[in-house]
Amino acid sequence: MKRVIMLLALFFVAGALTLSAGFFPFKAHEKIMENGFKIIAVPLPNPGIVAYYSVVRTGSRDEFETGHTGFAHFFEHMMFKGTKNFPSDVYDGMMTLMGADTNAFTGDDLTTYHLTFAKDDLEKVMELESDRFQNLDYDEEVFKTESGAVYGEYLKSKANPFFILFENMYDTAFDKHTYKHTTIGFEADVKAMPTMYEFSKSFFNRYYRPENVVLLICGDIDPENVFKLAEKYYGKWQKGYVPPAISEEPGQTAPRAKIIQYPGKILPLLAVAYKGLQFDPQSKEYVASVMLGDIMFGDTSEIYAKLVLNEQKVQMLGANFGLNRDPNLNAIMAMVKKIEDVEYIKAEIDRTLKKYQAELMDAKRLEDLKSNLKYSFLMRLSSTADVAGSLPEIIAISGGIDALDRYYTTLQTITPEDIRQAAIKYFTDHRKTEILVRGE
Amino acid sequence: MKKAIIFLIAGTLLGVSAFGAAKIKHVSLKIENEPIVSFRFVFHAGPMNDPDGKNGLAHLTAQILANASTKQNKYEDILKKLFPLASGYFVQVDREYITFIGESHKDNLDSFYSLFRDALLNPAFLEEDFNRLKTATINGIKTNLRYSNDEELGKAVFKAFVYRGTPYEKNIAGRVGDLEKITLDDVKKFYQKNFTQANLIAGLSGNFPDALISRIADDFAKLPQGPCNCRQEAVKPAKIEGIQVTIVEKATESTGIHIGFPIDLMRDHEDFHALFLANSWLGEHRNSSSHLYQVIREDRGMNYGDYSYIEDFPRGGGAQFPPTNVYKKPQLFEIWIRPVENNNRLFALRAALREVKALVEKGMTKKDFELTQKFLSKYYLHFAATASERLGYKIDDTLYGLKEPYLENFKEKIAALTLDKVNQVIKKYLQADNLKIVFVTNEADKLKNELINNTPSPITYRTPKPAEVLEEDKIIQVFPLAVKPGNIAILPLDEVFK
Repeated sequence: MKRVIMLLALFFVAGALTLSAGFFPFKAHEKIMENGFKIIAVPLPNPGIVAYYSVVRTGSRDEFETGHTGFAHFFEHMMFKGTKNFPSDVYDGMMTLMGADTNAFTGDDLTTYHLTFAKDDLEKVMELESDRFQNLDYDEEVFKTESGAVYGEYLKSKANPFFILFENMYDTAFDKHTYKHTTIGFEADVKAMPTMYEFSKSFFNRYYRPENVVLLICGDIDPENVFKLAEKYYGKWQKGYVPPAISEEPGQTAPRAKIIQYPGKILPLLAVAYKGLQFDPQSKEYVASVMLGDIMFGDTSEIYAKLVLNEQKVQMLGANFGLNRDPNLNAIMAMVKKIEDVEYIKAEIDRTLKKYQAELMDAKRLEDLKSNLKYSFLMRLSSTADVAGSLPEIIAISGGIDALDRYYTTLQTITPEDIRQAAIKYFTDHRKTEILVRGE
Repeated sequence: MKKAIIFLIAGTLLGVSAFGAAKIKHVSLKIENEPIVSFRFVFHAGPMNDPDGKNGLAHLTAQILANASTKQNKYEDILKKLFPLASGYFVQVDREYITFIGESHKDNLDSFYSLFRDALLNPAFLEEDFNRLKTATINGIKTNLRYSNDEELGKAVFKAFVYRGTPYEKNIAGRVGDLEKITLDDVKKFYQKNFTQANLIAGLSGNFPDALISRIADDFAKLPQGPCNCRQEAVKPAKIEGIQVTIVEKATESTGIHIGFPIDLMRDHEDFHALFLANSWLGEHRNSSSHLYQVIREDRGMNYGDYSYIEDFPRGGGAQFPPTNVYKKPQLFEIWIRPVENNNRLFALRAALREVKALVEKGMTKKDFELTQKFLSKYYLHFAATASERLGYKIDDTLYGLKEPYLENFKEKIAALTLDKVNQVIKKYLQADNLKIVFVTNEADKLKNELINNTPSPITYRTPKPAEVLEEDKIIQVFPLAVKPGNIAILPLDEVFK
């Protein structure tokens, strides 16, 4: 316990330069079993508690078959429907007995099932979790009922203009790649789900395989014991992952735009999105392009001060330059107070991009951002579940957590010129999609 | 790294005391290995202290403290100074308490604390900040609450409805008409009157230097001494007679429903843990162990979730575990039915009320009681996983006036319960006859007529259902609803918090 804490303390004292010595402040132990199943065990000095994250490297990105979007998320629901060994009421009863905090989430590139519980329950949890990943069993009736709950979730989302913004932004920006649909899927597909029982089984059989799932266990654990238990419970899981046949997105040739009328009195929502790059933690160009979101449009940017604080024409301004497995969108979003100002706001966004393409950014601000990103990550690690919860995305995108160190190492080397080059290369008109959601 | 377990706090210093000449009340939680220092400044002031005709003043004042310039720094510069620290502070406004919460790594403690302190003690009260935050709040009600988030809308209307006629009736963010009239001068006066030493509890957790406590005491001694908003009179909602309904009429494809009534059962009462257990079985928040969830979502696939509460749970849409520093007395019993298809709204209401009635009449079974007892004996470990949340609970112990710390004693109190005790307590506090309901839905007149006429509400499914579910549906669809015409109000959307 002591050693880990000392490492953490040293890291903070030494600051940025020690990043290459290891960004993630805890020691991770890894094992890959014969069937390709990877386990990452991270002991933490938090007595008594274990966080158990099964990261399936399948998300809405993997839904490549026409008419079948939304199934990754749907499985987030179906995985709680039990097996022959542990029917759902038995599974639920055991979770209740353990007082486990259990949930799941789905994104573009992953589906994650997570539980936090007292350490004495580790083996029981592994028995249950390994069982449902290998032996999930549900009948058509249960499948159909759950599809009703999923459609309810869709309708709930639809009553939010940001959801409408995202749904239209991805649909407009992409032609072939599966990032065209949001994680919950196209409405028509979600509505038609009750008729797709057979497809659901095929989806499970192709993607819920040991080579495509990473088990992350953090907390009060002994890694050797974890590996031994994993061998016992996951050892017989058969290989069989079939990678999805995702179409590559053809190069965009011209800017795109769409205006959507929202049925309600809302402030106009504007998104200006640019197609980004493939995840590559060693590429300066890639890392610089992601950093540009905060630099150009974060709450310490010049445009934020101008439009939000001083002129007060914009209520909210921000950038969503996320990490994805395939090239996705880097989106700038603004909630504009008056519809007549939208053109002006677009011009200001454009002016900002041009400025960063023409001029070198302030070197101190770049260093401040590096410090911000470092502390932001480390300050998120405030409980066992928070440590585990900080890792699924990087695992889904890269297959492990090593990429985290590589990413932050590259980040430390970024110069103002790297930032300028990324701005020139990736924020061009033929990568752009502009969406406006306006109210009544 | 934080210790996630609540009962293992040996080695931490725990105290509620007053320090220095200034007598600032404070709660501290020293954790040697915790590099993140968390602050909570809790002021006994909130929308309940909004003057008549100025609902929204407490919230706006709090926003101006947390998100605006100080005498030392323009807001733009505060953001720039906080940025490399990746630290920040924000405010949580609840009906009775305003809580400023901040976190910093101990390496950055000095820089962070100075900024946070100045925000609370030296606000600049600039016209430009006032205009920005006032407009954002008004837009938040007119566009976001009314048109972007039906569930938050339903909750806000429901709470104002349940506490009608009391100081808790005031909407937290305010009313549009009132907000439009509020001036910067009102804000300054509210600040002077309410942000006093007498109203403050300061909280600190993590591996902070001991000198920080006296520094805080010295700094906050600059606040006016008093007065205190200590309650002179109880908040006493009028007795609810029958079923009272507010229908917020909105063009929407799904209906959210909130049901409940005030209950004067607080954490220090001997019945509290018994009702906590019963409620956990009936509707544990965002947990599939919730019985309501099983009946409405699991068996029937009608929606995304169905939960119940015996303590107010603001921002439940985003949080898995109960919030802290949102004390209120009386508390409320609430059932939250997440959006169902409009056609099923009456069926969902009946299903929920029927379950409450059954719980009151039949009580819990031995099996359910024992299972829930075991569940809670471990589940409560998640309530305060971070040091900041533990600090929040410690402060709550003070707010609730507890002699024994709540979390540390939770397991023991749950273990000491008996089935008989729980079933007696259920009968004492829960019922399904006198309550308030809020719907956010379309075709309000149709719903009103159906409620008045006790119209049966058969349900049809797109997918086959087991025979026992269909049999039970026949009972649910005619579960009696006796609503008097005068007890139903239809609220047009644009009238909400007008």
